Amino acid sequence: MKGGTAIMTTTRFAAALAAAVFLLAAAPGAARAAGPLDDPGFAKVITCAACHGANGNSGSDMMPIISGLDPAYFKRQIENYAAGKRPSPEMEPYAKEVQFLGADQIAAYFAAQKRVPTPIRVSAEAAARGKTIAAQCVVCHGPDGKGEAARLIPGLAGQPPGYLAQQMALFKGDTRDPGDPLLAAKKALMKIIPDGQFADLAAYYSSLR
Amino acid sequence: MSRLTRRDFLRSSGVGVGLGLGAGFGLSGCAGTMTGDIAPKSGRRVVVIGGGWGGSTAARYIRIADPTIEVVLLEPNREFVSCPFSNLVLSGQRSIESLTLSYGGLRARGVKIIHELATAIEPDTKRVRIGEGYLAYDRLVVSPGVDFQWEQVEGLAAARDTVLHAWKAGPQTVQLAAQIQSMPDGGVFVLTVPRVAYRCPPGPYERICQVAWYLKGNKPKSKVIVLDANPNIVSKTGLFRAAWRAYPNIDYRASQKVVAVDTSTREVRTEFDRVKYDVLNLIPPQRAGAIAVQADLVGADKRWCEVDHVTYESVKQKNIHVIGDATIGLPVPKSGNVANNMGKAAALSIVSLLNGQAVPLMPPGNTCYSWVSDREAIAVVNAYKIENGKVVQIEQKLTPAQSVSVAQRAEGWRQSIWADMLS
Ligand SMILES: Cc1cc2nc3c(=O)[nH]c(=O)nc-3n(C[C@H](O)[C@H](O)[C@H](O)COP(=O)(O)OP(=O)(O)OC[C@H]3O[C@@H](n4cnc5c(N)ncnc54)[C@H](O)[C@@H]3O)c2cc1C
Ligand code: HEC
Repeated sequence: MKGGTAIMTTTRFAAALAAAVFLLAAAPGAARAAGPLDDPGFAKVITCAACHGANGNSGSDMMPIISGLDPAYFKRQIENYAAGKRPSPEMEPYAKEVQFLGADQIAAYFAAQKRVPTPIRVSAEAAARGKTIAAQCVVCHGPDGKGEAARLIPGLAGQPPGYLAQQMALFKGDTRDPGDPLLAAKKALMKIIPDGQFADLAAYYSSLR
Repeated sequence: MSRLTRRDFLRSSGVGVGLGLGAGFGLSGCAGTMTGDIAPKSGRRVVVIGGGWGGSTAARYIRIADPTIEVVLLEPNREFVSCPFSNLVLSGQRSIESLTLSYGGLRARGVKIIHELATAIEPDTKRVRIGEGYLAYDRLVVSPGVDFQWEQVEGLAAARDTVLHAWKAGPQTVQLAAQIQSMPDGGVFVLTVPRVAYRCPPGPYERICQVAWYLKGNKPKSKVIVLDANPNIVSKTGLFRAAWRAYPNIDYRASQKVVAVDTSTREVRTEFDRVKYDVLNLIPPQRAGAIAVQADLVGADKRWCEVDHVTYESVKQKNIHVIGDATIGLPVPKSGNVANNMGKAAALSIVSLLNGQAVPLMPPGNTCYSWVSDREAIAVVNAYKIENGKVVQIEQKLTPAQSVSVAQRAEGWRQSIWADMLS
């Protein structure tokens, strides 16, 4: 459309439509089936999809998948973002919005969503190299990278590689949750892993299913 | 507007794949009979005007939340072209094709798309006019974006095909990129910023970065003169100032409102000055898309539409929900991210209302990433709550500095939000 007026000539319109057969289907009087709105969490998470994808299943490299996260881990991240302990210009404001809407319900909503692994493919060589380095991570993240909810250890399997590598750097630099005793052992470990190995480690965990 | 062939139309309206379920409507090819009801309504129907950031999202989420509601989307463009990232076309970083998306995903969700302009709204009979015909609705979503106030700049109305705005991504974006490329080294690129409120507060300043970046590398004797009608950079001020230190070719002039343009002398006039240009990018003052003005959804200013902060229903007309850049009154920027969130909130409000259920509170959120070079970006993030029926900002946060990692997240946002509108 050009300019300030939205005027269409009648002839043009007729030419466009009269040449066609136009059917609009409708289900007359159909009763409403159970829909996503029946879960009150659905309407509370609408803003998250712009980054985290449909139902928390991010398809992009730098945005974490948040479906299927353990609710206690989820809520702790929201608290830490809101308090500025886990610094993120994106998540600090959004964490406060989550707190306004109800963190319990939102954590429960995402916990109930089926996790779809990242569509991003990594090179098999990088993943294989990462696997040998990952021997040190197994104690906490488990042999399958699924984490351990009781200890607030998140699953890494299937997360996008870019996000994983970036978090490793944040842990190493002690910029993610500085001083958090839960993370002391993890950070000590990250400090002895050379930066050059992060991409391989990330490729390995990202490739796990 | 494009001319339609019979085959195009069949394809675009989805008729060719047999959507009809008996509530069929046939047109036998006799021109001029397109009066009256284009497609009689047999169930509950929402008509959406505008398949941009707000309208596409609204159409998609109504179908997600309740597929028994019929959704008809009116949008003249055959394909969706993203304004976000379009400034990168001007610096040659992206192609317009990489920003052009199909409406196929919406069709697959059962959204019926008619590539036509809505020409009028009849709130009393709940009809949208398309030329001589009409479509009935139960509720209407209006997301027409912005139109330009050509008359605010002397000489602009007559020159509007040659003086480019490139403020709706598409052919003008490509033409402006070509003009910049063919400008001689030493040439002057002039960009003018209208007074707020306009679409995408940081957009002009991101564009300045992109053009300056391109000229610095390709036409080192050229410069960018910015005539800003505002007293200062409107958004992410400190971050843009910091970014511009890398671009000594930017000559930024605040409080310089453009009042006239003369293409014969290649000159723009501000209230105080005359400035010569080789390439001009004049971003005109804006108002809600024409259909909103015609339908009297705008306020006393005749520019923007006031809405309920929970449902986005127009304060002037019942059953009509206005979203996106066309709105005013919420403490939010006119951004694609906000239009997307308004689209979802309006969609879920409409579904709740049509099903006789309570409308949940769905405050918006906003993130605007801006590219300040070929690799680095900055961002502003806003979160909101709803108090006493009004949207209130909780917090605004800026990235501490420009960085490659912000640019990577911008890329992630682009991918996710495109899918959230059109997949
Ligand atoms: C250069 C630039 C960069 C930007 N960058 C960003 C960014 O990085 N992030 C961000 O969040 N936002 C950005 N924006 C802003 C963003 O593009 C807008 O805020 C957004 O498009 C608003 O959505 P909307 O639905 O209101 O309007 P639009 O997206 O413009 O959609 C309106 C649609 O309605 C159609 N229409 C109009 N009238 C009628 C009618 N009568 N009948 C049928 N259809 C009609 C039009 O054809 C159009 O497709 C940018 C904008 C520009 C110009
Ligand atoms: C503008 C983009 C954006 C939006 C919108 C957004 N997030 Fe995030 N989110 C991010 C980024 C980026 C990270 C990683 C930040 C970091 O470095 O810690 C993240 C991380 C998270 C994490 C931590 C994940 C983990 O495994 O530790 C949670 C939980 C989360 N977001 C929840 C949400 C919720 C809930 C919403 C919606 C209310 C939301 N986010 C909206 C960008 C966004």
